[in-house]
Amino acid sequence: MTGPASQQNAGPLVHPDEWSALMARAQDGDAHAYRRLLTAITPYLRAISGRAHRNPSDAEDSVQDILLTVHAVRHTYDPTRPFKPWLAGIAQHRVGDRLRRRARMSAREVSLALEHEAFAAPDNQEADRAFDQRGLHIALQTLPKGQLLAVTMTKLREMSLHDAAAETGVSVGALKVATHRGMQALRRLLVREKDER
Amino acid sequence: MIDTPDLIARLSTHAPPVRRLSSPMLLAGSWLLLAVIGLALLGVERGLRDDLAAQLGTGAFAIAVGASTATAVLACIGCLIASLPDRSRAWLWLPVPAMLLWFSTIGYGCLTDWISLSSGGVQPGEAARCFATVLLVSLPLSLALFALLRHAARLRPARVTMTAGLAVAGMTSTALSLFHQLDATIMVLIWNIGVAIVIVTIDAAIGRRVLGWLNPPLP
Repeated sequence: MTGPASQQNAGPLVHPDEWSALMARAQDGDAHAYRRLLTAITPYLRAISGRAHRNPSDAEDSVQDILLTVHAVRHTYDPTRPFKPWLAGIAQHRVGDRLRRRARMSAREVSLALEHEAFAAPDNQEADRAFDQRGLHIALQTLPKGQLLAVTMTKLREMSLHDAAAETGVSVGALKVATHRGMQALRRLLVREKDER
Repeated sequence: MIDTPDLIARLSTHAPPVRRLSSPMLLAGSWLLLAVIGLALLGVERGLRDDLAAQLGTGAFAIAVGASTATAVLACIGCLIASLPDRSRAWLWLPVPAMLLWFSTIGYGCLTDWISLSSGGVQPGEAARCFATVLLVSLPLSLALFALLRHAARLRPARVTMTAGLAVAGMTSTALSLFHQLDATIMVLIWNIGVAIVIVTIDAAIGRRVLGWLNPPLP
């Protein structure tokens, strides 16, 4: 989520007039040109996204959505046409999608105020959290190895299924099943433990 | 989500050369060529309807066939152009005038041939053959057009697939008019408008999913 960091290894600043040529080279497989282009367009995308989203985290997520879409549809760019309208078209779609998703979510969600907390005293919450963490840790150790790995990577480390699959060498489908079964087992164990408490 | 610079690094290291998309007009031309080949093969296998020459002499039939074909051609061009990120979504309106003409000629045909309602309608055997024609024409054409539009999955899929469905519906209606003798006007209405609505609805409903299947996962 860092702006200046994104300039690392990307070479000198790129003028927007060069974006079209860089994309043409990227389409031919020039990874360096592609990296320079993606780095150069990021501030422009941040400006578009920042105007639409009030939440900086949403704005940066939109920027990443746009970059992923640019990557997925880069073969649709025609180098004989201007690059900026092509990019702006994608940005408009992605920002609009996120705004709609956000609107749907906020229509369903209710934000909790302090008075909704069951225990206002911080000591109680800390003790409860520590107890929950210990319970979770014990429950995790009872899972089979495959499920433990899947839950740890996709839920605790918040990795995507594709990333976790790439790191473990297990297929996405198998990981999805292992995560689902692991979560079911955890839920059963934690509910039982809570009942016993 | 990962940091944006990490994402950029990951994307740029997973960026093999890509084959640039051909121009929308070229893609539309290929799809229409496929449609013409399909109709020609169907014509060779089944033969054209006996009274085609006589029917083409009547203004309403010729206009209806011309309008449904024009709807197919314009909808195909419109959805292929509008599927690109830098083109206006107004291209999706391109087939609308031809579509209105097509539907209005069906309505006019119904009014002028109303008497034929009492003729007993289309026989069950003919209806089954009509249904087979609908499937034989619409399935391959739908799949081919979705394959050409697979990049649209990440942009504006709903409207694009609906217009693609209209293109397939127009071509299917042309095939029905050329190969089947539908004398009962109510059947003409059902087969033309009904089939068009069903194809557009099905394509719009499953199109997004089909486009998703046709796309490789992101790195």
